[in-house]
Amino acid sequence: MDWQALWLSLSLAFWTVLVLLPVAVFLGRFLAYHRFRGKGAVEALVILPLVLPPTVLGFYLLVAFGAASPVGRAWEALFGGPLVFSFEGLVAASVLFNLPFAIQPAQRGFEAVPVEVREAAACCGMSPMQALRRVELPLAWPGVLTGMVLTFAHTLGEFGIVLMVGGSIPGETRTIAISIYDRVQAFDMAGAAQMSGVLLAISLGTVALTFWLSARAGRRLS
Amino acid sequence: MPLPRRHFLTSAAAFAALPARAATAPVIAAAASLRFVMADLETAFPDALRVSFGSSGTLSQQLRNGAPFELFLSADEAYVQGLAHDGHLPDDGVIYARGRLSLIVPKSGDMEADATLDALEARLTAGHLRRFAIANPEHAPYGIRAREALIHRGLWQGLQPFLVLGENVAQAAQFAVSGNADGGLVAASLASAGPLAARARSALIAEDWHSPLNQRMALTPRAGTVARTFFDFLQSNEARAIFARHGFAAPEPA
Amino acid sequence: MALEVRARAEAPIPLDVRFTVEPGELVALVGPSGAGKSTILRAISGLYQPHEGRVTVNGTPWLDTAAGVAQPTHRRRVGVVFQSYALFPQMTALANVMAAGADKSRAADLLALVHLKGLEARLPRALSGGQQQRVAVARALAREPEVLLLDEPFSAVDHATREGLYAEIQRLRAHLDMPVVLVTHDMEEARRLADRIVVIDHGKVVREGPAADVLFDPAAMRGMGLRGAGATLTAQIAEHEADGLTRLDGATGPLFLPRVTGPVGEVVRVRILAHDVILSRETPAQLSALNVIPGVIEDILPGDGPGAMVTLAVGQERLLARITQRSVRAMGLAPGQRCHAVVKTMAVAPHHVGRDDPGDG
Repeated sequence: MDWQALWLSLSLAFWTVLVLLPVAVFLGRFLAYHRFRGKGAVEALVILPLVLPPTVLGFYLLVAFGAASPVGRAWEALFGGPLVFSFEGLVAASVLFNLPFAIQPAQRGFEAVPVEVREAAACCGMSPMQALRRVELPLAWPGVLTGMVLTFAHTLGEFGIVLMVGGSIPGETRTIAISIYDRVQAFDMAGAAQMSGVLLAISLGTVALTFWLSARAGRRLS
Repeated sequence: MPLPRRHFLTSAAAFAALPARAATAPVIAAAASLRFVMADLETAFPDALRVSFGSSGTLSQQLRNGAPFELFLSADEAYVQGLAHDGHLPDDGVIYARGRLSLIVPKSGDMEADATLDALEARLTAGHLRRFAIANPEHAPYGIRAREALIHRGLWQGLQPFLVLGENVAQAAQFAVSGNADGGLVAASLASAGPLAARARSALIAEDWHSPLNQRMALTPRAGTVARTFFDFLQSNEARAIFARHGFAAPEPA
Repeated sequence: MALEVRARAEAPIPLDVRFTVEPGELVALVGPSGAGKSTILRAISGLYQPHEGRVTVNGTPWLDTAAGVAQPTHRRRVGVVFQSYALFPQMTALANVMAAGADKSRAADLLALVHLKGLEARLPRALSGGQQQRVAVARALAREPEVLLLDEPFSAVDHATREGLYAEIQRLRAHLDMPVVLVTHDMEEARRLADRIVVIDHGKVVREGPAADVLFDPAAMRGMGLRGAGATLTAQIAEHEADGLTRLDGATGPLFLPRVTGPVGEVVRVRILAHDVILSRETPAQLSALNVIPGVIEDILPGDGPGAMVTLAVGQERLLARITQRSVRAMGLAPGQRCHAVVKTMAVAPHHVGRDDPGDG
């Protein structure tokens, strides 16, 4: 049982959720409330990671963040090591490929806030931030939370992109999914089965939590 | 002066407080065929190492893109030489071992481990062949040699519809013994290793059936003291003995 | 603290209006659906910005497109009561009122003012429509608004509850010293609550004036769909008869209505819709209708279709009758003639009978 790899996966999922939480709230809210030219393009961009094969995504991310890229070079100058093949590089890639998982449910959550309720909040003297905190989030939070849970679960299982952008460096980028693959290649079926079981349990748990939360959100608004 | 980037991410959250994360253990890139021999080499070596296995081609690509490897053990010469030529390596290192190709057949199957490949041919002609696994001859060193051997034996064309290609030679070995294939041509170092030997029979393919598998290794620009020490260790007699135990031949005298 | 509104726009609907509301005055914006009434309200509150416009409250501009001033909604001290209540679903009634800026005790006072004492801890989904609307009113008042806007606030509520809410508003008027704008398409509502009426059609002001005058003006009513057109007669309850009818004494004779609640001697106002009135030149005989009201024709206004609106003077008051132009011609009706207005007892619904509301114009 590669505890280090599990810890790494959980850590990656945690940091991804942390970064995406404000993104989901603000971008999800913005997309829910505004209609503008080019909105379709923005939404398509957000969904893109869902429809692209992980290897394609991984490839583009490698090119975008790699040693030859401006981003990669700037990072290396600042921190002394490459962005790719590092944990931080995985976080960056993970944030990008989880965009649809985080933003879509949050957007739906905010779309469910009735327009009149938002208008009433403004008429009560609440600034947009006050309205967000006191009126909108209390109503939209199940959507936001679903987004975070999905992001967490998806990150735990992600393989192709993590392998491309991270390599399989023990303690740095060898997540549990990659570790399982590694065990199989080493013909350690028992080890692979054990880790797969743990990953399955965690994933099932998060999915069950999501369904429970959605049901709860449905009840509270009816 | 590089910022302590690891600190702000790792110390902030309990999650990221990983024990063996010390930047001291160097990362070694090793070809898939070295999977089992590396374990013994690491045990014999006093310092901690972190090994990343993969196909030589993939590891080479990763190095080009800035992977923080300090030593690269490839399964052939071309990749190391290519990297050196393009300036990603300070030099093209040394040959550390000579690899061998083996035929491998699952014990659960009924094909013989016949190094002449007569059994394979018989099966093919009789129409009983299901699948045969090799590493991808487009980029994997052992795959390239497997194709050469099969061409030499006149079986390459005939086997086309039955071939299953592994991304690296370890994956090919997996397919070969999975029970869904009749067998495969893989690295001898893998075929003779414990887990595989338990479930498969193997036979060495004659060396003159393919071009030599001179496996080259080189230190990268990032190489630190430990990596350099390991580099030297791998050329020692002790290391040579370990390689030999795992089915590698010694490098021919330069 | 007068409210001055001027707005002009092409989209989403054409708009070109200008009117003023004095402090303490309740102006009703009436007009057909899509006329732009709600849009005007939204321009005042800032939820909509017209292409060109000026909204000032006591001289202070909330909106002045020419000068580039456009206060966001949350900075305008405006109280809004929405048609759909728009209460915050996750907050109790008290919390909803407090959300507009009142502290706990003031919020409780406001809820008591709208007769919701005891229901402070209820969530909106545990309140009836009428109760929710009262919370909405309390919340609007909690803002200490400089302008109070009511956007068809009672259309989602049943008749009986509406009566209660009208009375509520009338009582509240004493506490309201700011301009109040009410949007409605219900004539009766406008008549009951408004001091002045502004009639909007296709985004333009077509008539403006004191409630009684405007509502009675068939020309103004024409563009709005004449369903609600009618008049009101004053009568005094004379006797509650044994067979379930009540006899009232009107200006020119008795009126028989289904049982009216109230003591003998009470003066009530009876609303008679124009399309319920039949005209007869002679006293009709053998007719089932009990109410035959003599009067004098004052005016006949032909409509765009086959109809015509006849204005009949009955004592000091007026009645409206909507009949066909064919009948006008066939009967040879003309101003100055004596005529009888026939009204079915059963056509007068209970909610058409109202008490003399204080301050009713």
